[in-house]
Amino acid sequence: MSPCSNNPSIPPTFLRNHFDNGITPNHDDPISNSPEPDTPESDTTQPAYLDPYYLEPYSHNFVLPTESSEARKMPPTNGYTSKVRVLDRYKVVGFISSGTYGRVYKAVGHNGMAGEFAIKKFKPDKEGEMIQYTGISQSACREMALCSELSHPNMIHLVEIILEDKCIFMVFEYAEHDLLQIIQHHSQPTRHPIPASAVRSILFQLLNGLLYLHSNWVLHRDLKPANIMVTSKGEVRIGDLGLARLFYKPLHSLFSGDKVVVTIWYRAPELLLGSKHYTPAVDLWAVGCIFAELLSLRPIFKGEEAKMDSKKTVPFQKNQMQKIVEILGMPTKDKWPGLIHQGEHSQLQTLSSYVREGNNGKSGLESWYWNTLRSTGYQDSPPSVTPGQQGLDLLSKLLEYDPMKRLSAEQALQHPYFTANGEKVSANCFEGMSTQYPSRRVSQDDNDIRTSSLPGTKRNGFPDDSLAGRPTKRMKD
Amino acid sequence: MAANYWASTQRRHWQYSRETLAEIRQKLEDDDRALVQQYPLPDRRLLSHLFNQQLAKFGKRLSIRQQAVATAQVYVRRFYSKVEIRRTNPYLILATAFYLACKMEECPQHIRTIVSEARSMWPDFIISDVSKLGECEFYLISEMNSQLIIHHPYRTLQDLQNTLSMAQDDTSLAWSIINDHYMTDLPLLYPPHVIAVTAIFLALTLKPTQAGLQAAASTAAALSSATPMPKDQPGSMNGVPNTQQKKVQNLVSWLAEGEIDIKAVVECSQEIISLYDVLEHFVDKICKEQIARFVKARGLDK
Repeated sequence: MSPCSNNPSIPPTFLRNHFDNGITPNHDDPISNSPEPDTPESDTTQPAYLDPYYLEPYSHNFVLPTESSEARKMPPTNGYTSKVRVLDRYKVVGFISSGTYGRVYKAVGHNGMAGEFAIKKFKPDKEGEMIQYTGISQSACREMALCSELSHPNMIHLVEIILEDKCIFMVFEYAEHDLLQIIQHHSQPTRHPIPASAVRSILFQLLNGLLYLHSNWVLHRDLKPANIMVTSKGEVRIGDLGLARLFYKPLHSLFSGDKVVVTIWYRAPELLLGSKHYTPAVDLWAVGCIFAELLSLRPIFKGEEAKMDSKKTVPFQKNQMQKIVEILGMPTKDKWPGLIHQGEHSQLQTLSSYVREGNNGKSGLESWYWNTLRSTGYQDSPPSVTPGQQGLDLLSKLLEYDPMKRLSAEQALQHPYFTANGEKVSANCFEGMSTQYPSRRVSQDDNDIRTSSLPGTKRNGFPDDSLAGRPTKRMKD
Repeated sequence: MAANYWASTQRRHWQYSRETLAEIRQKLEDDDRALVQQYPLPDRRLLSHLFNQQLAKFGKRLSIRQQAVATAQVYVRRFYSKVEIRRTNPYLILATAFYLACKMEECPQHIRTIVSEARSMWPDFIISDVSKLGECEFYLISEMNSQLIIHHPYRTLQDLQNTLSMAQDDTSLAWSIINDHYMTDLPLLYPPHVIAVTAIFLALTLKPTQAGLQAAASTAAALSSATPMPKDQPGSMNGVPNTQQKKVQNLVSWLAEGEIDIKAVVECSQEIISLYDVLEHFVDKICKEQIARFVKARGLDK
């Protein structure tokens, strides 16, 4: 019996606790850092709030009966019920996406609350008929706490968090676009470049948000196009802090907590080589990858992820490292003195040192860059229509092997790429553009939400991170 | 903000004036007057001492570092500024706060581990059903509005120990004074750096003996008149070794040129000194019995 079924009006399915695992068919929840979900206790007492004698324990409106009788009749009062109900405050208008964390819905406010919202519903650790409280995953705790704390024009804005019916609902401002969707739009039907001014604005806003995160000792650790939102006004908002965490004097080394972070294509070489001490530089590598992807409309290092074996040892991501070496060349200890201290640096010997042929004697990245600009269709001049030489310089300093030498967010923001030509970087990345990007796809079909939420039922047409073949999220130990 | 105390939710939402905090508590008690009268409880500081002891024990059993224990204590204090304690099972709240604090301080423990430890510590008050603790976690987070990042004074202490050329002994004494301040309302009243400076001040003056205590009192008096202490104030440093006196001078001149609210440091010092007085009257058994009375009578342990 579902806890909801006692209610006179049946709540919409999205309040129920089934999750479609179609995207990540393996049952291990790769997002939860806590150990295996608990098996339910054999004793399934019904939740306190279904008890007819149940009194909301902390309602100030509640008038106590005379104390003597109260003390005798008072049933257990530890039960939790939310003071605020999601559906009292928001009207769900459709389903946006699902992932390992749970699902995201689009909603509008009730009672004259203006605006549109994205409601992220966290998947409870346990699936099944009778949902039990099993403890909130560490990743959800981090995201709730950090989003409550942080506030910046280039960070996604949290409206509120509602804890109701054993689920967590994080209500965010709605963003119409994201970088993945924009990149895809430019790939179809034929490839046409994202205007150079838009790329510059996107990158600047992204770095600006990242500078804010890093100066607050927060590592994002999962930057990728799908996690970077863009509002209809062209404002870039960094989203998904599910893997983010503070790095100021952690009680344990950052490595020991989550062994593998960052979706593989955006994962920095020091992580691939098993570094034990990684730094904000991992986020800057990801920014470099995103920059490259905005220009070429394809992931620059599109490796295949080696899966964890049964012993849960983290494999060396040979294929991914190979993709990087093909463009950047083999890392050397001259250029990266810390290389020999990387746990897995000996694995480099297993790689082929083949570097993709550069035209007219140029370095791998340089050759990649100019070929990419040409094939995507950037004009060579005037300077306003091409990312140009400065773009290459910035890119090469973000895709720097040595994390100590890689640009910080602050340094990157001061790069001539943003300041040369006397042009101002717009806070609206769509400024001067004629392209109208399509709105985010939202499933309007209530029935669809209902049926698709049954375990094992595939949803139609709304893949997790859209592009088929994208790696499904990150893995964690 | 995460690293910036000034923009943090701690400062914006969880730092009260004494008056406001008193009003909030009064309202909680007024709303439950009958309950409050029926189940008297000892001084809040004595209860906090019990909680402190229990959480420290919990932490030790699982080898969890002090900062997570401190975070749990702040959670408990915040929670009980929103919810009347007699409506809860304090042991369940302690265990839940500890569970949540471990996750937030990046030393996560499995919920089963927490529940089984809690059960062995408080067998009469914790049942083995993990969902109870999971439910309580929702309650805790909800009352704290998901504002879970806590700024502690330990960081300031570490930053200042060199500036003020503190010896290892001084630092560890200041550290344990910080540990003790979680038994008072100071975490809800003052910014962490003020607490840290208070702890340093007390560590330097309290040490090593009762004579130091008097020194503290008179230094506090000197500070509260907001002038740097005269170098040869008669009798004030009676019995305090010379080097110690120098360190205190150091601190006082550092305070004089800094932007630390000296009045706040004085108030905090007095609060902590009176805490040590109150703790003389702590009787573990009485606290436990008084808690057990309402928990058992109201079936809050089920």
